[in-house]
Amino acid sequence: MTNNWITTRAWFLMLPLLIVMVAIIGWPLFDTVRLSFTDAKLVGTAGNFVGFENYVRILSGPNFQRTLITTFWFAVLSVSAEMVIGVLAALLLNQQFYGRSVLRALMILPWALPTVVNATLWRLIYNPEYGALNAALTQMGIIGAYQSWLGEPGTALASLIVADCWKNFPLVALIALAALQAVPRDITAAAMVDGAGAWSRFRFVIMPYLAGPLMVALVLRTIEAFKVFDIIWVMTRGGPANSTRTLSILVYQEAFSFQRAGSGASLALIVTLLVTILAVAYAALIRKSAGVS
Amino acid sequence: MSALELVNIRKRYGSVDTLKGINLSLASGEFLVLLGSSGCGKSTLLNIIAGLAEATEGDVRIGDRSVTGVHPKDRDIAMVFQSYALYPNLSVARNIGFGLEMRRVPAAERAKAVEKTAKMLQIENLLGRRPSELSGGQRQRVAIGRALVRDPKIFLFDEPLSNLDAKLRMETRTELKRLHQMLGTTIVYVTHDQIEAMTLATRIAVMRDGHIEQLASPDEIYNRPATRYVASFVGSPPMNMLDATLVDGTAQIAGSQTVIPLPSSLRSQASRKVIVGIRPENLSLALGDPSKLTIEAKVEVVELTGPELVVTSSIGNQRLTASLPPRSQVTVGSLQRFSIDADGLHVFDAVTEKRIDA
Ligand SMILES: Nc1ncnc2c1ncn2[C@@H]1O[C@H](COP(=O)(O)OP(=O)(O)OP(=O)(O)O)[C@@H](O)[C@H]1O
Ligand SMILES: [Mg+2]
Repeated sequence: MTNNWITTRAWFLMLPLLIVMVAIIGWPLFDTVRLSFTDAKLVGTAGNFVGFENYVRILSGPNFQRTLITTFWFAVLSVSAEMVIGVLAALLLNQQFYGRSVLRALMILPWALPTVVNATLWRLIYNPEYGALNAALTQMGIIGAYQSWLGEPGTALASLIVADCWKNFPLVALIALAALQAVPRDITAAAMVDGAGAWSRFRFVIMPYLAGPLMVALVLRTIEAFKVFDIIWVMTRGGPANSTRTLSILVYQEAFSFQRAGSGASLALIVTLLVTILAVAYAALIRKSAGVS
Repeated sequence: MSALELVNIRKRYGSVDTLKGINLSLASGEFLVLLGSSGCGKSTLLNIIAGLAEATEGDVRIGDRSVTGVHPKDRDIAMVFQSYALYPNLSVARNIGFGLEMRRVPAAERAKAVEKTAKMLQIENLLGRRPSELSGGQRQRVAIGRALVRDPKIFLFDEPLSNLDAKLRMETRTELKRLHQMLGTTIVYVTHDQIEAMTLATRIAVMRDGHIEQLASPDEIYNRPATRYVASFVGSPPMNMLDATLVDGTAQIAGSQTVIPLPSSLRSQASRKVIVGIRPENLSLALGDPSKLTIEAKVEVVELTGPELVVTSSIGNQRLTASLPPRSQVTVGSLQRFSIDADGLHVFDAVTEKRIDA
C-alpha cells in the first residue's frame, strides 16, 4: 500500500521529465525508424514504404564501406595519438617546475575552445598560400614548395587527425594528471630508493593508478571520434575526393545534401547501432578491469 | 669509520628554516632514534639522508663518502615508510625483491634472497599474495623485508610502527630489536613515541624545531636530560617541573614554604630562578625519616593504573605527580610528605632551560 503510493508518487514526479524526453528524444527516434523504411525526400513527398531496401543499398554500397574505413582510421589514429601525447603531457605537468600552473591552465585552452574556432584556426595554419605550416616547413628546408595540406587526398586525413589531436589531447592529459596526483608520494619514493628508473617507475608504480582513469578517457574519446562531424565539416566537408568523409558526414550528405531523408535515416540508425556496440563493449571492459583491481 | 655523518645540515622551505644545522656522526651498527614532536623536521632529515630531499646547506656522508647530489638508489640505503608504500599490483615476493630486480640481480639469486628474508620475518606463506590481501602488521613486515633483503649500509625507518595497534606495535618493536641485534645493521629510526625510542635506540637524538636538543644514550637522556624540553618529553607520567628560586644551595618552591636542600655539587651556584625537575617514580612516601630530602603536598587525585598508583597533589598552585607502589596508603585531601631520591633531582635554569650541573 505504502510501497504502491511511493511508486505512484515517483512516477508522478518524473512525469514532466518523461513527457519532455518522449517529446524530444522518443518521438524523433521513432520517426527516424519509420523514415528509414521509406523513400521519403527531405522536402516534398512523404515517401512510400520500401522495407529494408535502404539498409541493403547502404550496407552493400561502396560509399558506406569506404566511409567506415575512413572513420576507423580517423578514430584509431587520433585517439591513440591523443592518449600517448596526453599521458606524456600529464607526466610533464606533474613534475615540479617554475611556471607549472600557468602551463597547466594553458594546456586546457585547445580543449576549451569551440570546435569551430579550432577548425578555423587549423584551416589558417594549413592554408596553401599563406599558412603557417607551409612557411615553417619551407623555411626549415623540409619541403621545397607550398603544399595544399587539406586539398590533397593523401594528406587531408592526416592533417585532420593532427588538428583533432591538438584539440582533444588536453582532456586525456587532464584525466591522467588527476590520476597521477593520486599516486602516493611514498610509493614513488620507495621505488626511487629501490633503484627503479623512470620507465620502471612508470610501468610498475604509476601505471596501476593510471589504468582505470585512462580506460574511461579511451572510451569517451573513441566514441566521440567515431561520431566526429564538426571539425571535419568546417575544415574539409569530407573532401577532397571524399578522402575525409566519415560516417557522420555521410549521414549529413545523404539526408541534407542529397535530400534523401529515408536512406539518411537508415544510415543514421546504423551509425547509432555501431556506437552503441562500442559503448557496451567498453562498459564491459571497464567493469572487468575495475573488478580485477 | 663512521657509517653516517651529517655535517651542518640546513633545510629551508621558502622563508621557513625547517632544519637549523644538524650535526651528528653514527658508528657502524648503531641504532639512532630521531625523537621529536610532530613537525620538528624528523622526516625532512630522514629524506635528506635518503636523497629524497636536497639539503639547502651541509653535507651527508655515508661510509665516509659524500653523497650530496647522489641519487637515492646509489646511496646504499634502504627505507621503510610509515605508509608501508608497497607496490599494490605486485605480489609480496616481487615487492620484497623489487630492489634486487631493479639492480638486475639474476632471478635465481633473487628468489633465494627473498625466501631467506621472508623466512626471517615469518611471511613465507604470504609470498604469492597482493598487498591488498594483507593485514597491517603483515604489510609492515613486507615493507621491512623489502629493506632487509638488500643488505644496505644504512636502514632508514620513518615511523614504521605508528599504523599498528598497541599490541602489534609492541611485538614488532621487539622483533626489530631482535633483528638489529642479530644483523648488526646501522639504523636511523624516526618516531615521536618515547617508549620506542627508549627501548630500541643505542642513541637518541631529541629534536625540537629543527635542531637536536640532545644526542645521547637512552640512559643519559632519561637520567641526565640536558634541557627542560628533553626532560619533559621523555618519561611517563612526565617529569614534575616546579618553579623555584635557587638560594644558598636550596631550592625554594614558588608559591609555597617548601625548601628543598640541593646536593652539595649545586651549592656554589649563583641565586636565580630555576626549575626543579623530579620524576614521578623518584618520589615515595616519606615514613618519618626527616633527614632525607622531602617535600610536602596536598593530595588531590589518586589513580590506580595497575602496576602503579599515580598520585596527583599540589604544592601551592603547582602540580606534583608521584608514581607509587599500587598498595600505598594515600588519603585524598590530606597533606602528604614525599621523599625524593637524591639522584632523581634535576635543576634547570628558568631562562635558558638548560640543565644546571656542578
Ligand atoms: N615540501 C615542503 N614544503 C614546505 N614545508 C615543508 C615541506 N615538507 C615539510 N615541510 C615543513 O617542515 C616541517 C617539518 O616537517 P617534517 O615532515 O620533517 O616533520 P616531522 O618531524 O616528520 O613531523 P611528523 O612527526 O608529523 O611526521 C613542518 O613544519 C612542515 O610543514
Ligand atoms: Mg614525519
